[in-house]
Amino acid sequence: MSSSIKGVIMNNKIKIKVSDLIGSQLCISVEDGQKVFDKVDQLVKDGNHVTISFENVTMLISVFLNVAIGQLYGSFSEEAIRTQLKVEGLSSDDMTLVKSVVDNAKKYYLNKKSYDEAWLEDDDNE
Amino acid sequence: MQVNVGSIKSDFNGFDSISDIAEKTKTLYFDSIDLNFTNCSFFEANMVAPLYTVVANLRDNINDVSILSVPPAVYTILKKNKFLTVFNLPELIDINQTTLPFKIFKLNSGDQFNDYLETYMKGKGIPEMSEALNKHFLQNLFEIFLNASIHSKSKSGVFVCGQFFPQKHRLDFTIADAGVGIRENVRRYTGDAKLDSCESIKWALTEGHTTKTGNHPGGLGLKLIKDFIQKNNGKLQIISRYGYYEFLSNGETFQKMNNDFPGTCINIEINTEDKSSYCLESELKSEDVF
Repeated sequence: MSSSIKGVIMNNKIKIKVSDLIGSQLCISVEDGQKVFDKVDQLVKDGNHVTISFENVTMLISVFLNVAIGQLYGSFSEEAIRTQLKVEGLSSDDMTLVKSVVDNAKKYYLNKKSYDEAWLEDDDNE
Repeated sequence: MQVNVGSIKSDFNGFDSISDIAEKTKTLYFDSIDLNFTNCSFFEANMVAPLYTVVANLRDNINDVSILSVPPAVYTILKKNKFLTVFNLPELIDINQTTLPFKIFKLNSGDQFNDYLETYMKGKGIPEMSEALNKHFLQNLFEIFLNASIHSKSKSGVFVCGQFFPQKHRLDFTIADAGVGIRENVRRYTGDAKLDSCESIKWALTEGHTTKTGNHPGGLGLKLIKDFIQKNNGKLQIISRYGYYEFLSNGETFQKMNNDFPGTCINIEINTEDKSSYCLESELKSEDVF
């Protein structure tokens, strides 16, 4: 069975090792976050239960998590994420970081329309 | 056109002087600018990061920027920290290892920033930290670096420089970008076009407040660094457009600058005379609390 065949694997338990996927122990870039997001997004869409493993990761920052995990709240309901997604291999401090990113993302996607409509003309006045 | 560069320190006047140079040159396009250092008797090396925001904008407008008449002592400093290499002038080996050299990081080059910190942060007098705190401290530096890349919306990159001043018992570490400034992001996010630069910095520093970029939210992430700076008796400065923010152990101040700084700069000053060992509160053992 190959995990690269989209739509074939359904309701499977799949573990994504972040350090393998991005080829680095440093979770510090938007691009790498996007790579993780793209993978998880598709797998969850296909109905799988996904565990994101941060094993061997030595540095994790919120900018990465905003993209990798925060964005999922734009694709799925909170309930779907709670049911289908798990994280592992995190220290308690990093778990706190994930929690704050998730809380921010929930708030953001709840009000996304009003945030995005708030773009203003550049005003140079102080 | 010639513009004078006076003496520059990591303080309100230093940042305002750099902003003044930016104001004087901001309309130039496809021109030649000489930065004349004749009246510069000292230049704190880390301040080349904010100075480069001016140079980056000038170069972005296809101007030719040169350096003129740098007094020998200042010339040595700028050669040692590799700033002069961006003007195709030679560098000087830093035998005393007191510089964190000037470097322009392309956007999305977090890996290189990691290498830079690993190479240059050691042996610069930073107080001892537990492994967990050190990790958090580095996490905060990455947040600042990445925020500079993302929020600035500037293609010029992120400018980093630092200097250990053993005599003054200070280590200054400075990250700057030539971007739109905090004001722009906070105005857009809050929908309040009347917010000035100081109010915007204040908003961004409030815990739980974040501005978004594209599809995802972000933030300033300075809480742990502020906690550390307070205990260490150091200093944190944020300069963004007209806003100047300074945090010291005895309080914080916001001041409006006279000139528009062309981007955002964060300077972290660590008191290297501090011989304490630090750890996270969550790491405290019972014997540590009494």
